[in-house]
Amino acid sequence: MPPNFQLQCRLLLILLMALRGESRYLELQERADYDPFLLYSSNLKRDLAGEQPYHRALRCLDMLSLPGQFTFTADRPQLHCAALFISEPQEFITIYFDLVSIDCQGGDLLKVFDGWILKGEKFPSSQDHPLPTMERYIDFCESGLSRRNIRSSQNVAMVFFRVHEPGRGFTLTIKTEPNLFPCNVISQTPNGRFTLVVPHQHRNCSFSIIYPVAIKISDLTLGHLHGFQVKKPSAGCGGKGDFVELLGGNGLDPSKMMPLADLCYPFHGPAQMKIGCDNTVVRLVSSGKHINRVTFEYRQLEPYELENPNGNSILESCLSTL
Amino acid sequence: MRLRLLVCAGVLLVALWPCPPCRALLSRAPVPGSGRAPQVPQPLDLLQPQPEQQQQQQPQPVLIRMGEEYFLRLGDLNKSPAARPSPLAAGTGSRASPDQAAANFFRALLQLPRRSALERGPDDALGGHQEALERKRRSEEPPISLDLTFHLLREVLEMARAEQLAQQAHSNRKLMEIIGK
Repeated sequence: MPPNFQLQCRLLLILLMALRGESRYLELQERADYDPFLLYSSNLKRDLAGEQPYHRALRCLDMLSLPGQFTFTADRPQLHCAALFISEPQEFITIYFDLVSIDCQGGDLLKVFDGWILKGEKFPSSQDHPLPTMERYIDFCESGLSRRNIRSSQNVAMVFFRVHEPGRGFTLTIKTEPNLFPCNVISQTPNGRFTLVVPHQHRNCSFSIIYPVAIKISDLTLGHLHGFQVKKPSAGCGGKGDFVELLGGNGLDPSKMMPLADLCYPFHGPAQMKIGCDNTVVRLVSSGKHINRVTFEYRQLEPYELENPNGNSILESCLSTL
Repeated sequence: MRLRLLVCAGVLLVALWPCPPCRALLSRAPVPGSGRAPQVPQPLDLLQPQPEQQQQQQPQPVLIRMGEEYFLRLGDLNKSPAARPSPLAAGTGSRASPDQAAANFFRALLQLPRRSALERGPDDALGGHQEALERKRRSEEPPISLDLTFHLLREVLEMARAEQLAQQAHSNRKLMEIIGK
């Protein structure tokens, strides 16, 4: 190679190297402008945290599904009031009483219930909740300020209150905490998908859907067996060991609902069932010896499906009361 | 000893005395039109003086049964205490007199100073019996409940969901405004 050509090539090479460094500098400049962690930056957090928490007035009959601060002030004697709380399935509800101005001696009432209780039927049922029924009530008039911070055992809770004197009331703050293994859940929506996991716990967990739904169980793991556990179909589950049961009824309490099916034996393919009851519950019974898991999807039944039951459906048992 | 005999005799006398049909003697909310709010009955309030109650009514019989009914708690949320039949309150316009009468009666019989449940001695047979009765009554009474149909429950649930989605949309809008700066 002629020396001049070699010199030109070397100069060209040096020039290229210099340009690559420069371009890398430009690339870095652009990268500096682009911050993939902008969403997590402290400035952004401060901007979002500066927002006031959600706040509104609480009604005599109310349902809250988001965190915030809620104030009830009686404009007239309010003797029969209740507020229901519901969060995401994987969250606990924390209720904090910021300010309470009621006359306990005058007959005012402020009670928190761990769960929901409608028409005497409670969720979770007495069988599925660790506390006896009366201990699930926390009476502010009895416990006073010693119990200002109350956490639910599942994703639902409610408060009963009665205020005689206009102008009196209370303020409470609702927050949520993560629940790693949700056990008793009421679904906020008539459609969805959920996996119920009970890891080595001797407890029974219920997932309640307060709509008529078509439910499809796609995966069931009971202990070390996947799919569906092999058992004689004629024997059924017998209410023993670990199994999943489908319940249907027109009340809230799973222990008072009608068992429609129990699963601990093999099926070919996913198991689907249409349940035309006001309340459908998937209940996982666990002995604590295994890690049990059940995955299911559910969708709300259309009106025409309720009118024309066919296929794999059990509607007659609830239609009479609809 | 003598005091115990007097107490037992008084209790037996009251229990065996012919009395009118039993009725709810106590209620918790003021009668519409009455200007005074009653005291919330507590088991220990029987022994506590109620100085703000001025009226002196004739004592009510059947205090033992009153002791049973007295500890009936709110029970059904649908039944307002104001709606409970209370012949005494209907007749006199005051709900405080059964409490006052009961308090006077127990003070007269027992002549005991005001004590808390934790301080009660083992020899307080009557007070222990009342507490046991109260505990049994509490365990038997129906819990407070909300009488709401599933239809209404779904309505308020959907309203709550709509509120949650609206708030989420608001937060998303704020987030996009911040990111876009």
